[in-house]
Amino acid sequence: MKTNYLISTNRTARIAGTVSLTLWILIAGITLVSCDDFVQVDPPNSQLTGDVVFDDKTTANAVIVGIYGKMRDSGLMTGQIGGISCSLGLYADELDFYQDIGANNFYTNSLYAEATPVRDLWNSSYNIIYAANAVAEGIPKSALASGDKDHFLGEALFIRALMHFYLVNLYGDIPYVTGTDYLANSRVSKLPTAEVYQSIINDLNQAHELLPQEDFSWERVRPLKATATALLARVYLYNGRWGEAADSASAIINDPSYVLENDPDMAFLKENPGTIWQFSPAAEGNNTNEGNLFIFNQGPPPVVALKESFVNAFETGDLRRQHWIREITDGSSVWYHPFKYRMRAVVGSSTEYSIVLRLGEQYLIRAEARARQGDLIGAKEDLDIIRARAGLAGTTAISQQDVLTAILKERQWELFTEFGHRFMDLRRFGMLDAVLSLTKPGWDTNDRLWPLPGQELLANPNLNPQNPGY
Amino acid sequence: MKIISIDKGFYAIILGLFLWCPARANTVLASTGTYFFQQQVHGTVTDASGPLPGVIIAVKGKNIAVNSDTNGNYTIAASAGDTLIFSFIGFKRVEKTVSSGAINVVMEPESSGLEEVVINTGYYTVKDKQRTGSISRITSKDIGDQPVTNVLATMQGRMAGVDIIQDGGSPGGSFQIKIRGINSLRRDGNQPLYVIDGVPYSSETIGSPDTSTSTASFTSPLNSINPSDIESIEVLKDADATSIYGSRGANGVVLITTKKGKIGKTSVNVLASTAIGKVTKMIDLMQTPEYLEMRRQAFANDGIDTYPDFAYDINGTWDQNRNTDWQKELIGGTAHITSAQLSLSGGSENTQYLLSGTYRSETTVTPGDFRYDKGAAHFNMNHRSQDNKFRLAVTANYTSQDNNLPSTDLTAISRKLAPNAPKLYNEDGSLNWEDGTFENPLAALESKASIKTNDLLANTLMSYELFRDFEVKLNLGFTDLSNNEERIMPSTMYNPAYGIGSSESLLLTNLTSRKSWIAEPQLHWKKDMAGGVLDVLAGATAQQQQSKRLYQIGYGFSSNSLIYDLASAGAVFTTANDEAVYRYQAFFGRLNYNWQDRYIINLTGRRDGSSRFGPGKQFASFGAVGMAWLFSNEAFLNGSKVLSFGKLRASYGTTGNDQIGDYQFLNSYASSGIAYQGVIGLTPQRLYNPDFSWEVNKKLEMGLEMGFLKNRVSLSVAHYRNRSSNQLVGIPLPGTTGFASVNANLAATVQNTGFEFTLGTTNVETKDFNWTSSLNLTIARNKLIEFPGLESSPYANTYIIGQSLNIARLYHYTGLNEQTGVYQVQDFDGDGAITAANDKQVIADLTPKFFGGFQNQLSYKNWKLDFLFQFTKQKNYDYIPSSAAGLPYNQPSGQVFWQQSGDKGPQQITTTGANSAAVAGYYQYAASDAVIVDGSYIRLKNIALSYNLPSEALGGIRCRLFFQGQNLLTFTPYEGGDPEFKYAGYLPPLKIYSLGAQLTF
Repeated sequence: MKTNYLISTNRTARIAGTVSLTLWILIAGITLVSCDDFVQVDPPNSQLTGDVVFDDKTTANAVIVGIYGKMRDSGLMTGQIGGISCSLGLYADELDFYQDIGANNFYTNSLYAEATPVRDLWNSSYNIIYAANAVAEGIPKSALASGDKDHFLGEALFIRALMHFYLVNLYGDIPYVTGTDYLANSRVSKLPTAEVYQSIINDLNQAHELLPQEDFSWERVRPLKATATALLARVYLYNGRWGEAADSASAIINDPSYVLENDPDMAFLKENPGTIWQFSPAAEGNNTNEGNLFIFNQGPPPVVALKESFVNAFETGDLRRQHWIREITDGSSVWYHPFKYRMRAVVGSSTEYSIVLRLGEQYLIRAEARARQGDLIGAKEDLDIIRARAGLAGTTAISQQDVLTAILKERQWELFTEFGHRFMDLRRFGMLDAVLSLTKPGWDTNDRLWPLPGQELLANPNLNPQNPGY
Repeated sequence: MKIISIDKGFYAIILGLFLWCPARANTVLASTGTYFFQQQVHGTVTDASGPLPGVIIAVKGKNIAVNSDTNGNYTIAASAGDTLIFSFIGFKRVEKTVSSGAINVVMEPESSGLEEVVINTGYYTVKDKQRTGSISRITSKDIGDQPVTNVLATMQGRMAGVDIIQDGGSPGGSFQIKIRGINSLRRDGNQPLYVIDGVPYSSETIGSPDTSTSTASFTSPLNSINPSDIESIEVLKDADATSIYGSRGANGVVLITTKKGKIGKTSVNVLASTAIGKVTKMIDLMQTPEYLEMRRQAFANDGIDTYPDFAYDINGTWDQNRNTDWQKELIGGTAHITSAQLSLSGGSENTQYLLSGTYRSETTVTPGDFRYDKGAAHFNMNHRSQDNKFRLAVTANYTSQDNNLPSTDLTAISRKLAPNAPKLYNEDGSLNWEDGTFENPLAALESKASIKTNDLLANTLMSYELFRDFEVKLNLGFTDLSNNEERIMPSTMYNPAYGIGSSESLLLTNLTSRKSWIAEPQLHWKKDMAGGVLDVLAGATAQQQQSKRLYQIGYGFSSNSLIYDLASAGAVFTTANDEAVYRYQAFFGRLNYNWQDRYIINLTGRRDGSSRFGPGKQFASFGAVGMAWLFSNEAFLNGSKVLSFGKLRASYGTTGNDQIGDYQFLNSYASSGIAYQGVIGLTPQRLYNPDFSWEVNKKLEMGLEMGFLKNRVSLSVAHYRNRSSNQLVGIPLPGTTGFASVNANLAATVQNTGFEFTLGTTNVETKDFNWTSSLNLTIARNKLIEFPGLESSPYANTYIIGQSLNIARLYHYTGLNEQTGVYQVQDFDGDGAITAANDKQVIADLTPKFFGGFQNQLSYKNWKLDFLFQFTKQKNYDYIPSSAAGLPYNQPSGQVFWQQSGDKGPQQITTTGANSAAVAGYYQYAASDAVIVDGSYIRLKNIALSYNLPSEALGGIRCRLFFQGQNLLTFTPYEGGDPEFKYAGYLPPLKIYSLGAQLTF
């Protein structure tokens, strides 16, 4: 009996052993078959690889709107505190800073090469340029329909030109980056400002070819041919190419799609017909970052407020002084904040979008371009259109110099706290030192350019030399 | 291509073995038919305490073996003249020649000490005596005496070379572990590999910072391991022990083995305990009179005569006679801990089982109804066939945790709140806002966090002995973890003066799930060869892990009572919806040759493939050689009266590190989470570098192990040098590339060196009284040897070549300016300005100089006392007040402030914030060498006293009563609260007193 028992357990063992072996071979077989492939995984569901993302119109579009979303919410273009609408307002003579006394290097004109915002704004801009270049490289190789290809490529070139435009205005000579190869991009050299502008103009001209005429977004939140033209007008103006500046501005002014909104209370609503390009908000009900930043309801101001000297510079009766600026008082002191955008909080439906390019600027571009070319009558015509809208009488300027001075003032009143116009205008007019040394105790003539980020120079010596004074 | 063909070849060999084995197996099985004309030998096996079941009885030279049954009886077929071998783990082997009649055997236990402790090294086991690698070990004896919930807590102070710090005293909080220092420049690349019952267990965080509770770090999955179910923990440290884990062994390996069923009649074990926990140490802060004096002085110093409207503490709005000890009020409560465990175990000689359930509940020291519940079930079944050829072990662990805690740690606020701040509650029990002048700290508790974690870990180990000393094994494992975190931020947490309603209430949810499986076929073969024993192991691993995460935010509720319902939110944002797959495969092997227990050589190796690397970079090989010389077995020392054991060992080899996250090599686009035109954007994730590969850690070790006086004194000394190179870091790039860095291997090298000492002594060994001690001491150094381009990298202000990775760069405090009364630091570059980049020139190394533990076990008759002192010699940050003195925040008491020219302080002039020089002085002081103080401590980490009731008194039921304590005594020069912390401002570890009883029947 014992023997049988032993045999039977041995049989059990044998069966178990065979089962075990079979399993073994099965596993080994499976492993063998999939040996090389096993450790190669598919990309995760929540990510797309660079080579397929542009093959589908929906995902290609998502990449493009991803760039606009970034521009709206971070970096140079944002209406939040880090963007140039605020920081160049502080750097020039538009805004006072109330948070952490003296802690803002823009406000005190005390930027230094290692300052975090100097590096962050540089890096975030080139990050956007990288994204645009990735589109520019990926789209032509993609399987998209040719019309879609053109539109996306045009937008990418437009974005690239726009970011380089602001970079060259802040940092002076910069590299113009047109690819995604990080080995090449980590050794790029600086280009003289004029060459940077030529690349911007080339990109904008090409973008103009590719971008659509018609606004498929219905809200002017995507660049069109006219958008490229409007930016081109500004770039020509900055480069002294007056004729082309005037022509480009004329193309917009003569376009019946764009009409000046004459009611100053409605000039920054999202539907106003003077808008050329604006940022779509993050969610329905959101309004602008600018409104959120600038508006306050009781003093002292939490973050920033308009300088009293700036507010007092307006001519009497200027509707913009009355409608685009709001006074806040606690009974003894008075503070002012920009009130172009009226909405601060999230509401049921959005009424204001952050406007990047608008018709008012085009009139002033053409006015200046005409004046520079000696067409003072034409210049004053354009200038007076803007003045009339602000409830002001026609300009009294007669000489070319007076007309230009009047245009500079008009730009100050019209374009304040919009993407650093004031600072860049003063530099173009050669008046930075004369004007800013009056109101800015920390102003130094070398402050006309920001320093290149110190770490950037360490990482890529081809970017030397540092801008003067840093 | 070449790599692939080698792998294929390897597989072909293994497959060949598989195909060959069954054929061989049949012949072996067939040969067993010869025993028909043998006689049946029988007898009883006993030890000192009675019948011994489960003893293996084998006929020498034949494939016949049986087990003794529950009464110790056996019957085996054998011929006269055959030799029977009786073997059982923990007992000396006995050989008897078969003659006529019963063969009864009394087994003797192996002698104590180093002799026959068997160490688990993961893929194989080794007798401690014959070990060539560096391995530390604790067993359930040590673990069971500690009233803690985290597995890492049980190891603290008990292992040389293993540095463990508790993040904080909140229930469910996590621990930092460093096995032989920091190897990787990536802060999150220094985790050891955890393997539970042969199944790798990912320790990557499962929580989100937004939805975790008030702990200093994210939710750690290690909380899912129930310490009371652990049989032993082995920590593998050197190359010899870790190279077989290849790419994942660089930071050491923690092997956790859970409890197994035991042979014998069914035994029921009931354990219940209750405990209380309190904060170990508070900071001595100002009381109201001293505080108000400071404030008055500050206003006077700033030349402010009229107290402003918002200075409620001093302008009469708040009662100036009120004094509250906020530390006592907010973190001075008592945490209550209850735990209970019921386990059932037993089985025959062939099949044993263990089933246990544990429940533990823990409250907090903060006011309010918060608790952390944990339930765990553990199951183990072992089976082996009658002939001992087939073995099967099935283990399953299931843990369920429900952690409901405040989402804010009140420790920091309890130290800064003005002592005359108003009462917390109104008469009616509602929160007191004192007419909008008081930010009630308890309002933060309105924001609750709940974490529900369920974790299953199952494993099956099958083995079959195909023929003598040739075994095939298959290890299958499965883990399934789900973690559901919710955090509410209701409008009621804000001062009602803001007028915020439920339309601004928030719900944050984070759902993580992680599943993995592993299959590891193995071959084990043993062969006597050339006077020694050759041990061969070959195996392969295939593993997959899949993680998913869904993070959503619900915003705006019609009522706060609906706040837990995401569907009721006015708007829902999905911030993350990720899925990651990690696949891993490997071949590993071991070749061990032991020549007459005198010379041992151990070769281990592993070839690894990981999906975390790009095509062509997925495979790498790692290997080690370990050697041991048991010089006490040499003729010239044999029979020495003093030296009973002596071994010299050395090892060298490589391990790797693949802790870089998944998909980092891919050029990919992911959701930016930001909408434009109502479309969520896609954004490029990173610069595409498919060419990065493993970090390599080269480990060198030498060790000497000795036993004296029949091993009553044992000493082990080890020296190691680990060099971690090919550091996988984000290589800094100029911003013009669009990104700050690209993942790549950097020729940076980090070195860890150290000495580890372990001394064990049996001080007294008598019938009634026993006393053993053990001391472990680690002296470790960490050094960054090289880092090309450090100056231009983001690490420029963090690391210094030639220094430890764990340094702080600080200003040098030069004393008080006697004229202005402001703290001054040295202006190293003499440019007249104090800048962090140029003037933080003092380097403080915060790495412990040495650390260790001293454990004593005493037993007298039925009494047993066990205590552990843990010690660390280190520098640490002093408590830094939250602001400059004079602002409306509390300060440590006893400060002497500068008041007029010529005063020496030592504390600077008080200010209300208007004196910007003093404010700057405070920040510079707080970042200077003045705040680095001696943070050393000696702590009675654990004490356990137990008493066994005489079992006769209870009719055979064994009853043990015990008292356990954790962190009961601390000796330290440190004055800034509890000296054991990693992050300042969090609840320190608690001291715990526990009482309990254990019944076994």
